[in-house]
Amino acid sequence: MSAVDRDATAAVAPSVSDNGEPLATNSHDHHHHGDTPERGYGPWILVAGLAVALLLRDRVGWLSDTDVRLWSTLFVSVCIQALPFLVLGVVVSGLIAAFVSPEFVQRIVPKRAFLAVPSAGLAGMALPGCECGSVPIAGRLVAAGTPQAAALTFLLAAPAINPVVLVSTAVAFPNDRELVLARFVASFLTAIAVGTWWARRTNTSLLDSVGHLHKHREGKWERFVDVASRDLVHAGGYLVVGAMAAATLQLVVPRSVLTSVADSEVLSVLMFAALAVVLSICSEADAFVAAGLPQFSLTSRLVFLVVGPVIDLKLVAMHAGIFGRRFAIVFAPVTLAVAVISAVIVGQVIL
Amino acid sequence: MLVLGAVIARLLRSGGFGMFVQQHMQYPLMAAAVVLLIFGGYEAIAGVREERRDAASVKRSTGPTIGWLLMLPLLVLVAVAPTALGAAAADRVDAYTPTQTNSSYSPLDTSKGPVEMRVFEFLDRALWDDTRTLEGAAVRLEGLVVNDPDVPDGFKLTRFMVSCCAADGIPLQVSVHAPSVALPDDTWVVADIVWRPPDQPYHSPGGPSSVEADAVSVVEVPDAPNDPYESPY
Repeated sequence: MSAVDRDATAAVAPSVSDNGEPLATNSHDHHHHGDTPERGYGPWILVAGLAVALLLRDRVGWLSDTDVRLWSTLFVSVCIQALPFLVLGVVVSGLIAAFVSPEFVQRIVPKRAFLAVPSAGLAGMALPGCECGSVPIAGRLVAAGTPQAAALTFLLAAPAINPVVLVSTAVAFPNDRELVLARFVASFLTAIAVGTWWARRTNTSLLDSVGHLHKHREGKWERFVDVASRDLVHAGGYLVVGAMAAATLQLVVPRSVLTSVADSEVLSVLMFAALAVVLSICSEADAFVAAGLPQFSLTSRLVFLVVGPVIDLKLVAMHAGIFGRRFAIVFAPVTLAVAVISAVIVGQVIL
Repeated sequence: MLVLGAVIARLLRSGGFGMFVQQHMQYPLMAAAVVLLIFGGYEAIAGVREERRDAASVKRSTGPTIGWLLMLPLLVLVAVAPTALGAAAADRVDAYTPTQTNSSYSPLDTSKGPVEMRVFEFLDRALWDDTRTLEGAAVRLEGLVVNDPDVPDGFKLTRFMVSCCAADGIPLQVSVHAPSVALPDDTWVVADIVWRPPDQPYHSPGGPSSVEADAVSVVEVPDAPNDPYESPY
């Protein structure tokens, strides 16, 4: 990790040690009791951080180093790019928390997993965002009483098969229209398969504590703003962690190492799966990156397009934040494996 | 959150967002900034009100500690002054080769001097236009200088193609032969160039790996254009 974040983290760190809260915790109740005194310290930390940053600027030589500046460009751009989608996501999640009662969810969601999971997948088509927005939404869906498997299916399907993503894929691959179909099918299958897997798990306690909210405000609109801003701050914090990791790895692992494996189909499939995880590119943009690597087979690039929206570094960080670390540890490898297998099979059939 | 919204709004007004994300992202960003400002304002007012009501028992938190990491990008912005993608980034990624998209190309009107063109269109015409509309025509491109040992008597005129944010940037490059020009990396130039047709077809084994051109004139531009990246749309 670059030294930039080390310094900047140091500026933020007092808030962590002062109130004795661990940095990464998934125990929501802990926060929602309102027992954290950060509110009082927060503005001062910000001011102090800005002051430190200003002092560092122009004085510390390595801060103007090319690589550091490139790192910061990548890091900030991933954050900025994700922000609108994150905001859209938390607005929806706030609306769910405020206006959707568990009783209502139980009425409209089919009881049986084999119906609930595919319909959740299809519902994912309706959200024109990318992956950052769907994480808080899925969290609130679980909290609102949606079957966990259905919420997870939605989590995986929404960023991959919505109209915006499919259109941008079609624009990026004007001569390979079947790739759009293949992406749709493979992503949908991935979401369904993971959802079904979760539905069949007997131990679902991993998600039990998700999004447990204590009402401390009356009124639906107040609750809406409350939940939306809390989700934004929460998911946004983890997004920043993921963006740092992605920017660092983008710099450390040059994309040109790719060229060395272009000849082997197996290697390039694995390589593209790893690349999708590392680059953490928004699902609306990944098609253009894949289109920019024409020396590889369509199937291996399909793997890139199917893996990216369901699992990557910034998503793992966000899952850990919203659903808990133990969940993320189980969920990430399974999703990755299912996505790769599904993309390879669909690639063989359609492409 | 107020701060975040305000910073985004400021980036939008100053056009500084252009180095991070594609132009069309400004509208979603604008909406996001408005929502952030509303939320932030609401939280601030509600917070003050509740503090007044009783400071002891009703303490609210704006959220988990991890949320303060949201301030990190702002601190980095202040401390490091990120730059737009340039030569350093171009070194790390293979240049983009457009795939065939058009079946016919409109003829170029060279009567009014050099034809202004996006780098993408230049590459596209050079690589795929069988009617060779590019041949002999002076074309005006704007891009960055990237010095490269492959082009000893010139430079690679480079423009990044960014579809969403800088992290997905891919360089578009034309090898410009300009023996009299020696400019440092990352200089913005407006170059009038003429395509140099390859000896062998581009898509044959042993064919050239880059699109080449001869410079007619290369003029340095003091500032990067407002939109430093090309969009694939």
